[in-house]
Amino acid sequence: MPTPIYLDHAATTPVRREVLEAMEPYFGSRFGNPSSMHRWGREARAALDAARERLAHCLGAESDELCFTSGGTEGDNFAILATFHARRKEGRTAVVTSPIEHKAILGAVHQAAREGAEERILDVHRDGLVDRDSFDANVRDDTAVCSVMWVNNEIGVVQPIEELAGRAKERGAVFHTDAVQAFGKLPVDARKVPFDILTISGHKIGAPKGIGAIYIRRGTPFEPLLHGGAQNRGVRPGTENVAAAVGLATAAELAVEEREAEVRRLGELRDRLEAALLERIPDAVVNGKGAPRAPHVLNISVPGTDSESLLLALDLAGVACSSGSACQSGSVDPSHVLTAIGVPRELAVAAVRMSLGPLTTPEGVERVASLFPALIAKARRLSAVAG
Amino acid sequence: MRERVLVAMSGGVDSSVAAAVLARQGYDVIGATMKLFCYGDDVPDRPCCSLDSIDDARRVCESIGVPHYVLNLESAFSRDVIGNFVSEYAAGRTPIPCVRCNTFTKFRDLLRKADALEARYIATGHYARSVSGELHRGSDRAKDQSYFLWGIDRDVVRRMLLPVGELTKDETRQLARELGLRVVSEKPESQDICFVPDGDHAKVIARHLGADAPALSPGDFVTSDGSVVGRHDGYARFTIGQRRGLPGGHREAMFVIAIRPESREVVIGPRQELLGLGVIAREINWLVDEAPDVGARVQLQVRHRSAPAPAEVLRLDGGEMELALDEAVAAITPGQSLVIYDGERVLGGGIIESAVGARGASRTALPVIAA
Repeated sequence: MPTPIYLDHAATTPVRREVLEAMEPYFGSRFGNPSSMHRWGREARAALDAARERLAHCLGAESDELCFTSGGTEGDNFAILATFHARRKEGRTAVVTSPIEHKAILGAVHQAAREGAEERILDVHRDGLVDRDSFDANVRDDTAVCSVMWVNNEIGVVQPIEELAGRAKERGAVFHTDAVQAFGKLPVDARKVPFDILTISGHKIGAPKGIGAIYIRRGTPFEPLLHGGAQNRGVRPGTENVAAAVGLATAAELAVEEREAEVRRLGELRDRLEAALLERIPDAVVNGKGAPRAPHVLNISVPGTDSESLLLALDLAGVACSSGSACQSGSVDPSHVLTAIGVPRELAVAAVRMSLGPLTTPEGVERVASLFPALIAKARRLSAVAG
Repeated sequence: MRERVLVAMSGGVDSSVAAAVLARQGYDVIGATMKLFCYGDDVPDRPCCSLDSIDDARRVCESIGVPHYVLNLESAFSRDVIGNFVSEYAAGRTPIPCVRCNTFTKFRDLLRKADALEARYIATGHYARSVSGELHRGSDRAKDQSYFLWGIDRDVVRRMLLPVGELTKDETRQLARELGLRVVSEKPESQDICFVPDGDHAKVIARHLGADAPALSPGDFVTSDGSVVGRHDGYARFTIGQRRGLPGGHREAMFVIAIRPESREVVIGPRQELLGLGVIAREINWLVDEAPDVGARVQLQVRHRSAPAPAEVLRLDGGEMELALDEAVAAITPGQSLVIYDGERVLGGGIIESAVGARGASRTALPVIAA
């Protein structure tokens, strides 16, 4: 079989060599606990402080505005629940989000609702963009927190975060954005965009799984979810993962440094792939087309096929893609994102997400562009036979 | 080129051994676990989507070095199997969902997935054998599951690989140990219907039809002479031959002998009223080229674990057939399967519509409903 092709970078990316090298000492001789007063502790503390500062610099933030987490899910949960817990006392009990968020946000919002919050889900357009009128109608002076993801992980749609954050703040609501897919693809600058909380995750940008960070603007009300120690300034107690924090800072710096060139490269490859597929499969539908999209995501539905069979056939042909949404069991379910933006069921069940990244090459894109239509043709023959 | 086979893996020992044996024989094995239903929040102490079974199947595939996928057949299964299960109970019958699952889910829907993956064969852990395009009983007569397979399309039999059909259960377990399948080798036999947690089928019916559905609402116990002898809490809780939950105070042991959904009556009677001398079945399916004709002598089974009973074909029209038994058989239950055998060979089968000519006296047993 020819070399496998990885087109699932929105799921995860390999740890970069530079990142691995930067982390290595903290698994070895510099193993100290950053909370210890002795030299081992000081050494670890210095590395952690430096990592925080470097990461803050990447986000246009101050280092005391950053807190390391275990990843995107923890950051999203913190953003919703920690703020809701703090603000319900002032009578702000509504929690607002969009229906196309990551399950980590939707799950946290449902949890807030179980704890007494009023859950409000924004309308979204067919292209995936949040409806402004719906936003204005739902984000009010009773709103504790509003969360809208910057780049959608399934369809790549970019929301106008600067504008939405501004509107939320006019109404006194905390504004959070899940920037897990945005960081490294869009400029993320806390000095320019007025979000209050922002979530990033390491393993989407070449750092290991299990590390992420949240940005929390100074003065943002919240109550910690974990209790126990003073680490991370009490925001998130627990001995810090020093090596992974160093890895995240390193990966973030590289992502910022390479962003413009990589965005151009991935955008060209994605556009080429998209054009080739649409040319060879004229009735294919690109989900989220029409809205601004991040350069690394292509979500395509072909009528008369189903995601599950296509993903299996692709995998057996050595091509790794996803449908964007997986059940706990690993089965392929119709995407809540596509359903929410009004994609008809027969197209929603046929969606395949291809996401590009460091492993993507022009040759790989060419191969997928020729292989995918062949698999589609076969899938259609079979579904015609099956009636 | 190695032949590709899609193995339906439940996470149990039989299908795990099937996969491992086929891999060892040199087949290009792909393991697949069907996701058929989701308990959702109804059963909080169980993980979603029979996750434990899926995990076990995945670990077996990892250990034998073959890919494993979870295939979502939830909506088709819900329609073809669970929907039918509920409507059959509502109609006063006792369905066997495993038969419908084999017919529609495993050997039709899953087969389409096999087609999509260019797999020539489909394999399961059934105790039955595919012999030159015909379906035969499993070698281990105590485990034989051919009774549950009569409904599949005849052409599919050629594409079936049933490696444990040649083995006894003990041999299967022994083989599992030899193959190092520690995850599953000592796993207890499952007796439940997969989508009926804790064996409480009334709960499933209630979820679909509402707790106040007629099938779950109180009605009369009557005897065959029409006397009302008590009240029951829903006829769907009863099956032909059942003794548990019947009113006492009778001279003889009493059994459910009929269920009348239109009047919500459960008819009870002594053993001799449980016997049938004939059976009418519908949805007839043949697994052989030359199906028995009117007048043919056959052997039939009206439940999984019973001795084959000699009978004669009386009538055959369209999808329906009537057979006369040489000797009376107890508890012929509408909704259960009638399977027609010729020795080892499965000739075909159907769904029991009714028993004919009840009289005499004999033993009884509850229908067995897991395979």
